[in-house]
Amino acid sequence: MTKDTPAPILIDNLVLAYGQHRVLDGLSLQVPAGSITALLGGNGAGKSTTLAALLGFVRAQSGTVLVAGVDPGMDPDAARRRIAYLPENVALYEHLTAAENADYLLALSEERKERRIITDAFAAAGLQERAWDQRLGGFSKGMRQKVAIAVALLREVPVLLLDEPTSGLDPRATVDFNALVAAVRDRGTAVLMVTHDLLSAADVADRIGFLEAGRIVEEVAASGPERFDVRALHARFAVAAERLAA
Amino acid sequence: MTLWKHELRLLLRGRLSTVALALLAVLSVAALAAGMAEVSRQRAAIAAIPAAQAEDIAAVADYVDRTKDAGSAAYYSFHPTWDAPSPLAFAALGMRDVSPYILRVRALGLEAQIYDGDTFNPELALPGRFDFAFVLVFLAPLFVIALFHDQVSGEREAGRLRTLTALPRGGSGLMRRRTLVRLALLWAVLAVPFTFAAIVSGVGIGAILLILAVIAAYLSFWIGLAALIGRLRWSSVANAATLAACWLVLVLIVPTLAHVAINRAVPVDQGAEIALAQRERVNHAWDIPREETMRRFYANHPRWAASAPLGPEFHYKWYLAFHQNGDESVAGQVRAYRAGLERRDAAARALGWVLPSVGVQALLTRLAATDLTAQLAYQDRIRDFHRRLRDFYYAYLFNDRPFGKEDFARAPVFGR
Repeated sequence: MTKDTPAPILIDNLVLAYGQHRVLDGLSLQVPAGSITALLGGNGAGKSTTLAALLGFVRAQSGTVLVAGVDPGMDPDAARRRIAYLPENVALYEHLTAAENADYLLALSEERKERRIITDAFAAAGLQERAWDQRLGGFSKGMRQKVAIAVALLREVPVLLLDEPTSGLDPRATVDFNALVAAVRDRGTAVLMVTHDLLSAADVADRIGFLEAGRIVEEVAASGPERFDVRALHARFAVAAERLAA
Repeated sequence: MTLWKHELRLLLRGRLSTVALALLAVLSVAALAAGMAEVSRQRAAIAAIPAAQAEDIAAVADYVDRTKDAGSAAYYSFHPTWDAPSPLAFAALGMRDVSPYILRVRALGLEAQIYDGDTFNPELALPGRFDFAFVLVFLAPLFVIALFHDQVSGEREAGRLRTLTALPRGGSGLMRRRTLVRLALLWAVLAVPFTFAAIVSGVGIGAILLILAVIAAYLSFWIGLAALIGRLRWSSVANAATLAACWLVLVLIVPTLAHVAINRAVPVDQGAEIALAQRERVNHAWDIPREETMRRFYANHPRWAASAPLGPEFHYKWYLAFHQNGDESVAGQVRAYRAGLERRDAAARALGWVLPSVGVQALLTRLAATDLTAQLAYQDRIRDFHRRLRDFYYAYLFNDRPFGKEDFARAPVFGR
């Protein structure tokens, strides 16, 4: 990857409104390949709408959105071919096994993998072998997320979008999940996660952006002179949340 | 594995969809078996006619041969008519269970003989016979509702819709595939047993293909309705309740109200009233001078006017003449009754253009020749046969020709 290579996630001066209400108001964001950016913000800050714009669910009034060079507003299918997306609550088909779910989701992604490759991905995602051929009915949220992240690994797409990925996970599962996301990043994937979970974001993200009223009001990096410390971040985040609530 | 196979596996793993499809398959097979059994019973009854008729005529012939009286032969001889079921009748029994398909007639007044049987069994007439048409028109929509009410809302409620729509082939294309898979399975559980039964019953390929298309079109109507309701983004429960209400309105309430409205708009006397009127005319004829009866009869049937005048003793030609006069005296009522039935039928068929349940029912009974048109056509054949029967006996009666045992063999036979 060179400096000239465009970032797989590129948002520039994006304006998106529902009726009179501007949800995104000049949002600009770049997530380079092989990096994790966390977007933090309170309810209504525009986090989920940012993901929706990247997935082509909503169309912007102005500005630029590009997913690996594709405008999701113009060609949502092409954009979605380049995105793996994990919603807040990973809901899969309970009457299919983990392997069958993966097989099905891959088919919907126009991909096909041999069982061995799927089970390798399960193993890489930390899903125990005895769960591979079990129906998802009895799976915990953490186990479901492992199935979903395994599918994301299998798809080998340039962009991974995570929507509140660690909400509801216990600390151990959060650590495991973050390790998996870091592994995806290390394969060169651009990861954008929107979250309320500052600790998790600080643990795994390379950059954290604070989203407020539809734009990033502050952005900090995990390394270099602007390296963040969690206490300071927490204080800023709390102030931002109070401002938004006000 | 193709996406189609994935969708099929996904659907068949669901308990509700599996049970629904299995139940509809069982109902289809049961309805077809019941229809075929009923048609088989009717065919057996028709097949038994010649032997029973030979036995009956043999008994009458022994008696008549002693007197050589054509009048006695005409009076005592019943002649069977029948309306053989079409190969497709098993699928839509229509009026065959409430109207006679075998009628034994004598050369006496015909209208009373036809309309004596024109009293429907309300238990059978109201819900209709359990046949394939019933399963398709009344029950299949419920299975469409079961399989389609939560096609999108179920994914939304399970939290999967966003995941699915975020996939390249998970959006509207996915829902189209699922719709086609469900439609194909519903269609198959109706169409496969029907096709098998139709081939066994000797139904022509054209009729089979037409009905297969009708099944697909009717299911598509209900699937389209489910899709429209689904676009309102209500919950699965609300979708199911709304669709069930639509079913109630479109399949039961509107057709019933339309039936009442048509019957009010086109008032028609009961057929039994024609039978009663004809009988009263015939009974009254005993009180009318015989010459007056014969004068009226000869005026309408001059070909027999050269017959010898009546003597003081009873003569069957007078008896048969006042029976025929009785028929002719209610001819206007018969025409009005028939025209009324045809107007009602036409109105019901017109309703079928806007109400699919009525339209499919009407089309199936038309193709199966079990509708009113077929019933009236059978009456026409009976009238035609009865005319030949009268001519046969009148040739003996009005020419005072003796009628022997061997003459029974010359009597017209229905359908020849």
